[in-house]
Amino acid sequence: MIAGLFWPLLSGAIGLGLWQGLVWAFNVPSFLLPGPWQILLTIFQQWPYLLAQLGITMAAAGLGLLISVALGLAAGAAIASSRLVDRMMTPWLVIAHAIPKVVIAPLFLVWFGFGLQSEVFFVVAFTFFPVIVNTVTGLKSADPEQLLMVRAMGATPAQVLHKIQFPSALASICAGIKLAVTLAPVGAVIGEFVASNAGLGHLLIRAVGDMDTPLAFAAVTVFSIFGVLLWRAAEWVERRVLPWHPSQRDSFLLRDAST
Amino acid sequence: MRTISWEFGVERKGKRVLAADRNWDMGDRAAAAASAIFLDNVEKTYGGRSGVRALAPITAVLSAGETVGIVGPSGCGKSTLMRLIAGLEAPTAGAIRIGDRPVSGPVPDIGIVFQRDLLLEWRRVLANVMLPAEIKGLAGLESRARELLAELDIAGFAEAYPWQLSGGMRQRVAIARALLTGPKLLFLDEPFSALDALTRDQMNVLLQRLQTSHGVTTLLITHSISEAIFCADRVLVMSGRPGSVLDDIRVPFERPRRLALRETPAFTAIGRRIREHFEKAGVLVG
Ligand SMILES: Nc1ncnc2c1ncn2[C@@H]1O[C@H](COP(=O)(O)OP(=O)(O)O)[C@@H](O)[C@H]1O
Ligand SMILES: [Mg+2]
Repeated sequence: MIAGLFWPLLSGAIGLGLWQGLVWAFNVPSFLLPGPWQILLTIFQQWPYLLAQLGITMAAAGLGLLISVALGLAAGAAIASSRLVDRMMTPWLVIAHAIPKVVIAPLFLVWFGFGLQSEVFFVVAFTFFPVIVNTVTGLKSADPEQLLMVRAMGATPAQVLHKIQFPSALASICAGIKLAVTLAPVGAVIGEFVASNAGLGHLLIRAVGDMDTPLAFAAVTVFSIFGVLLWRAAEWVERRVLPWHPSQRDSFLLRDAST
Repeated sequence: MRTISWEFGVERKGKRVLAADRNWDMGDRAAAAASAIFLDNVEKTYGGRSGVRALAPITAVLSAGETVGIVGPSGCGKSTLMRLIAGLEAPTAGAIRIGDRPVSGPVPDIGIVFQRDLLLEWRRVLANVMLPAEIKGLAGLESRARELLAELDIAGFAEAYPWQLSGGMRQRVAIARALLTGPKLLFLDEPFSALDALTRDQMNVLLQRLQTSHGVTTLLITHSISEAIFCADRVLVMSGRPGSVLDDIRVPFERPRRLALRETPAFTAIGRRIREHFEKAGVLVG
């Protein structure tokens, strides 16, 4: 563990050191490029403000994520269990998926107005597709012989979905949700660029407008660190949900041995 | 024709029960008799008129309580026949009856073991065995599941995940799952062909033991001639595609049978008789 951390830490320290050294050596003005030290100071000074804005962004991201996971699972189940729904909905999904979401972000302002609701809907648009695509793929990839087996046991379609298809799809669904988890904060920030006067996205726009580049960098840093933590949390949840999955087996054995 | 077969089935049942030294009351016997299988000119063609003819007309009676081995070349329609009897597919022509009930949809009272164990990787062993009870909405079968695991010598693995088990153990779990709800019919479709020879021998002995204790009507599809003879009361030899029954051989050996039985002249004579069919037909056993 310690040995594994040594090289990334060393590499990081050298990179940050070089950055700081160059800023000092060439006396780069801070509105152009602040050094890591100044960014760190700004984070400390503005901590309550940054945290509050991060909270707003994450609330919008979380709400949007929740909605798109619920919608994605339901629509995915409908598509996977009915050929008619599949044929009717898939073309629309393909078209909707092909539209770059960032391009239509301003339209959300028109449709949903200025504020949180617009931002949340944008997060939904941004994160819906990985969830639904992975749900459909997962549900359709159930072992056909297992399906035959439970049908021989007299399973109803709902039971087949619940007992076989959904558990078979869980790994794939988790992958989709993990992707959505990383996309959601990005979607929220873009939403705030366009349609909000709060949150990290709005803070960034304002900081750049004020030429307060250190604050912008501080926001980006906080945002990135939070993103990494979020990813880790998603992996942690995944391990709890899929203890049997090949990708989790090592950790399962370790956990078993330690208890 | 049918009435004769029917009585014959009941009578066979009686013999088997005596041989197995089990005390069946009349209720049990009536229930078991209801599990005789009647095939009346059953045919199956896949994919319309010009499609694959999987089964030529087959007429046969599988008596209640009997273990029938089916051997035949690969692709001759053995699995197809099993799916037809289980009601998972409809025959193209002919009729199938179990007891006095015509088969027209999935038959609920069958335990099936496939070549692949089909264990659900996300469930522990006990939960895998409990699957049919959950699907059929039957409560209170957990102690039964544990008993079966004990009977199959894997009681210690009830809380293990399937990937922690060997191939033979996984197939034991699959057998326990098939027997959980006490089905009248047990279908085994090449259940041991993915196992190594030694494990396979163990499973054959195990199957013997189960037949004695459970007495269900069993259909054992296998590509091992000696496995068929060792496990079955009767072996149906099938021709290459489209499958038809070439021979119907009684296996007279008493139970419980020991593996050494396979070296006896009487046993090898039956094996030779089956092999001759395949040589005559110019096919390898697949
Ligand atoms: N669902 C299906 N659709 C089309 N052809 C099939 C299907 N199932 C089996 N067959 C064909 O029917 C024949 C018999 O198959 P099967 O019953 O699996 O043989 P066996 O179990 O004896 O090896 C094979 O030629 C196979 O290709
Ligand atoms: Mg087969």
